[in-house]
Amino acid sequence: MKSLKYNSMKWRYFKQTVFFTLVRVSALIITLALGGLVLYIIVNGISSISWDFITKPPTDSMTKGGIMPAILGTIYLTIGAIAIGLPLGIASAIYLTEYARQGKIIRFIKVGINCLAGVPSVVFGLFGLGFFVIFLKFGSSILSGSLTLGFLILPTIIGASEEALKSVPQTFREASLSLGVSKWQTTYRIVLPNALPGILTGSILGIGRAAGETAPIMFTAAAYFTAKLPGSVFDEVMALPYHIYVLATAGTNIEATRPIQFGTVLVLVGVVLSIDLIAIVIRGYMRRNKRW
Amino acid sequence: MDSNIIIKLKNVNFYYGPTRALTDISMTFGKNKVTALIGPSGCGKSTLLRLLNRMNELIDGTKVEGEILFEDKNIYAPDVDPVEIRRKIGMVFQKPNPFPKTIYNNISYGPKLTGVSGAEMDVLVEQSLKQAVLWDEVKDILNKSAMNLSGGQQQRLCIARALAMKPDILLMDEPTSALDPISTAKIEELIEELKKDYTIIIVTHNMQQAARISDETAFFYLGNLIEYNETEKIFTKPDVKQTEDYITGRFG
Repeated sequence: MKSLKYNSMKWRYFKQTVFFTLVRVSALIITLALGGLVLYIIVNGISSISWDFITKPPTDSMTKGGIMPAILGTIYLTIGAIAIGLPLGIASAIYLTEYARQGKIIRFIKVGINCLAGVPSVVFGLFGLGFFVIFLKFGSSILSGSLTLGFLILPTIIGASEEALKSVPQTFREASLSLGVSKWQTTYRIVLPNALPGILTGSILGIGRAAGETAPIMFTAAAYFTAKLPGSVFDEVMALPYHIYVLATAGTNIEATRPIQFGTVLVLVGVVLSIDLIAIVIRGYMRRNKRW
Repeated sequence: MDSNIIIKLKNVNFYYGPTRALTDISMTFGKNKVTALIGPSGCGKSTLLRLLNRMNELIDGTKVEGEILFEDKNIYAPDVDPVEIRRKIGMVFQKPNPFPKTIYNNISYGPKLTGVSGAEMDVLVEQSLKQAVLWDEVKDILNKSAMNLSGGQQQRLCIARALAMKPDILLMDEPTSALDPISTAKIEELIEELKKDYTIIIVTHNMQQAARISDETAFFYLGNLIEYNETEKIFTKPDVKQTEDYITGRFG
């Protein structure tokens, strides 16, 4: 009897060791894959990076020169997407969590939003082409591209904002309302400030996606080549993801531009990380008072 | 209405969806009195308290029948703004719930939205904290986060926050159940003090507390008002057997 018990304990420890090992190996694989990817990009791309590369436009049919217009274009488009997606997403989430009567319709809307998050980005691109570029006559422009990207990241932002709003303790709302403060003021002064760090955390994902997507801007904003910088939101721009696509598939001399391609990829990763970093810093600043 | 009466309930029924939580309650609350609502968990006393400042309607699917008159006006009449009602009828909750703001801003949050500012606000903050007997403990740390205070101090801050709106009535939902005995004693002394200027209606699970601090006591059971009388009478010679069983600890 005693030995049986002992054996079963041993068997359990054995199982535990096996599972822990499996989990550790999984974590290791992910880390290696990600690290390998980043390392590969850095090793291949670092040689092209120079001051001229990030401050000069391309020359000689894009086989030489820099990628400055594309960097600027991606920054414009990302800021545009945030400017459209963030307020709209937060407002929708406030309606869904704070105001709407919870029931079948709301559940249906939430399912719809989740489905939207799974729609392939090229579909958003075509929608942008049909609606913003052609129907609203915005043309292929920063405005059309920002709107398309803004819509693309909307589900992510709504989802993140909903979670963040729900995590604000109900007692805060009760305390505020019990003082004779209106619902809107309670939402605006108590709920939203406490939810903002969480909203930003979730939105970082969307922001990174906006900067990196190719398909949505292909038809709505991105120029194959333009040395001229945009003068207004109705101008076309170059953009990093589309530039990579062009260089790698449709350029005049694909082999010759390999180093530029890797350099552009490295810059794109850098731009996305910088935007994330800014969001993280803002979040940290907002969080300093959070304690409950 | 009798000038000593501040709130009058007439045949009030209350439902959470299909479930009736309060049955045909008619009662009055005296001005500048402390009224205790007692009864076992789920008897409807907290529900009744939250009816008085319309906090129950934050829950979807609730329904009120009957009338609740505050200063001769039914607070559930269609033209009444619940925000106005809550300004006049303040509330203190079971768990201290200060905002994650500074001590000063916790107090000033409500009055600021009604237009108080500057030196007037400083006076109001000081006055409210003094009324809640917290001033001496926090006067040097007004710009520190309220989250750093002890539970008892937080609860007194919540009382001060409610008082800053200059309400007529203060509703208290088991305000000491999350506090240690010393903090509880302080809050009870405070209630004694506040009674001079405010009407206080308090829900409590603590029989001794009800006996110590209240003038009137109402005993609820399964959504019905079983007995409502002067506290002394309830705790010495209750009319109803159920009341006696409850206060002597035979059930509940």
